[in-house]
Amino acid sequence: MLALDGNVDLSNLAMVLVLTSAVASLWVPGWLSAVAAALAVLAFNWSFVPPRHHFAVDLREHLLLLVAMLAVSWIISALMIRQRQLAEGAGLHARREARLRSWSDTLRDAPDPALHASSLRDELTTIAGVPAAVIVLREQSAQPEDEPAILRFGDMDADQRAGLSLCVRQGQALGPGSGRHEEQPDWYLPLRGRDVTLGAAVLRGLGGQRDDRDLRAHAQALCDQMGLALQRSFAKREEQQAREQAQEQGVRNALLAAISHDYRTPLATIMGAASSLQAQADRLSLEQRRALASTIAEEAGRLSRLTDNTLQLARLGTPGVELRCDWESAEEIVGAALRRVRAHDPARRVRARLEPELPLLWCDAMLISQMLENLIDNALKYSPPESPVEILARRAGDRVVLAVRDRGPGIAPAWRDRVFEVFQRGVEPNPAGMAESERRGAGVGLAVCRAIARAHAGELRLRPRGHGGSSFECSIPIRDAPAPPAPGDPS
Amino acid sequence: MSLRILLVEDDRELRTTLREALAVEGYEVLPAASLADASALAAHAHGAGGIDIVLLDLGLPDGDGQALLAAIRADRATPVIVISARQADGQKIRLLDAGADDYLVKPFSIGELLARMRVALRHRGTIAQPAVTHYRHEGLEIDLRAHRVRLDGNDVHLTPTEFKLLARLVRNAGQVVTHRQLLADVWGAEFTEQTHYLRLYMGQLRAKLEPDPADPRRLLTEPGVGYRIVDATE
Repeated sequence: MLALDGNVDLSNLAMVLVLTSAVASLWVPGWLSAVAAALAVLAFNWSFVPPRHHFAVDLREHLLLLVAMLAVSWIISALMIRQRQLAEGAGLHARREARLRSWSDTLRDAPDPALHASSLRDELTTIAGVPAAVIVLREQSAQPEDEPAILRFGDMDADQRAGLSLCVRQGQALGPGSGRHEEQPDWYLPLRGRDVTLGAAVLRGLGGQRDDRDLRAHAQALCDQMGLALQRSFAKREEQQAREQAQEQGVRNALLAAISHDYRTPLATIMGAASSLQAQADRLSLEQRRALASTIAEEAGRLSRLTDNTLQLARLGTPGVELRCDWESAEEIVGAALRRVRAHDPARRVRARLEPELPLLWCDAMLISQMLENLIDNALKYSPPESPVEILARRAGDRVVLAVRDRGPGIAPAWRDRVFEVFQRGVEPNPAGMAESERRGAGVGLAVCRAIARAHAGELRLRPRGHGGSSFECSIPIRDAPAPPAPGDPS
Repeated sequence: MSLRILLVEDDRELRTTLREALAVEGYEVLPAASLADASALAAHAHGAGGIDIVLLDLGLPDGDGQALLAAIRADRATPVIVISARQADGQKIRLLDAGADDYLVKPFSIGELLARMRVALRHRGTIAQPAVTHYRHEGLEIDLRAHRVRLDGNDVHLTPTEFKLLARLVRNAGQVVTHRQLLADVWGAEFTEQTHYLRLYMGQLRAKLEPDPADPRRLLTEPGVGYRIVDATE
């Protein structure tokens, strides 16, 4: 400006000054540019306005010029301040929008949104710049005072706990600026779903910002996202429970129907034979009476096995069931099962073949022999009276396979997996076209066999045999057996 | 004089049925519905010649029978046969380990019961009398005193441990011997958890003494309980 001094007139110099201060206000804060403009006008007065080097102003038009300069600079500064505020507001708004969106994404993907309540607390702490705390209900019907049913995140004192409870009960914001409990130092915001409140958040010591509506709206939006997510997850959980319950009920009904069916047949036989003995004893020959009595004994045996199977099925179905496992030899288990089935295998159709040197099995011997007994019974029942039934024990990699094989008609592919389900009978045509009377008793039997195999971390499968017949194969994992007794026993 | 049975069973129908069936066989039956009844009857019978055998049902309303077993065993070797439901496995084994002679799982036939009783009565008093020393069953001859085992006329060589195990079973021929009892008597009290020893040696014995070890006729397995060598008279 000093260089231009003398070349251009005073008002043009003034324009340069105004231009400079306008340009400066683009970079420096608004208040600083306002102060700088005032100082610049004073300096201009000192340096250029006659009398020079003096603050006095000779001409009235010069005074007007100075005032106009100052006014224009200040107006520019004020506009810049306003502009910046607007830009900042818009930026904040956009940032908050983004946070809200990412928050709602987080919640949408969460299987249990309650576990994100600590993130909500962190989010609130970040946006408000004060410590926050959150409580969340674990059940839709829970009460906020019901300690086991709520989760707490963040520090809170007794007052704040009470405030949070009240906030949940009323489902409305409390604290300064909310129109309720204005005297409180903290803000309380409910986590609202549709028509319910599933938690609350407290922003501690935020009373001073009572009028920050944007912050309140944003914080409330975050809280409501949480409330909605909680409500959604509760609804989902309830729906799932209802579905499971219905399914369980269905299975139980099928089980009961089938059990009562399975029980009724031997019971009817026993009833018939016993009542015949009771009413007609004196007209029956000794031979006939003996036959009736042995029918009763046989059917009672069948009922007893059925009861064992049903009880075992129920027991193995309960979670956390404990087996009485020990180191057992396959030979002994097979032997015990054979001895029991001999009672209804007078023709000795059942033969056992065991691979030598089988490892000991870690299993519940009673259960495994019960399983074999069922499988053998089944094989005897569903194969021609003269055909052999084989029990085979062999090692296959890290498992021992116990197989029961028959030369019966086999089982249609569609039924190969379903025979293990409890009680498919009567709903569909029978496998292999067997008459209902021939198929009795298979329902619980195979289901309990598979349950026993699975309780031992094993599996029971049905494989069709090459030249006809079925092979039921149970595989049980081999575990490291303990050391044999120390030598010192000369042979 | 007929043998006297103390029948402890809380189910009235079963008690009546067993009582009738045993009476037909010529036994004198003292029925009891609870442990308290049974103790009273046992004390009363003590003066009148005592009781010859006890049939003890588990799951009685007033206790698990262990105290009664101890009382019965306190002064004489009266045989005790435990009658249990299938679920009461743990209790059954506890009583067998504590000295009960044998067990039957409900439901059982009268034939089975009578057979078990015959075996138990035959072993009665073995504590005072010389123990069983000879065993003979379908071509298998065991002479415990002479340490000799013959199968179909041929000598069978057994290791000392195999022989001890076999001898322990033979001394209670026809009765179940629990895993724990076998391990304690053959290997020693500190080995009572090592059931895998038994699997190994029983396997060896069956290989030497059974025509088909997978379908044994003499050395029978009672899954989860113990072993039994069949009664020589069977």
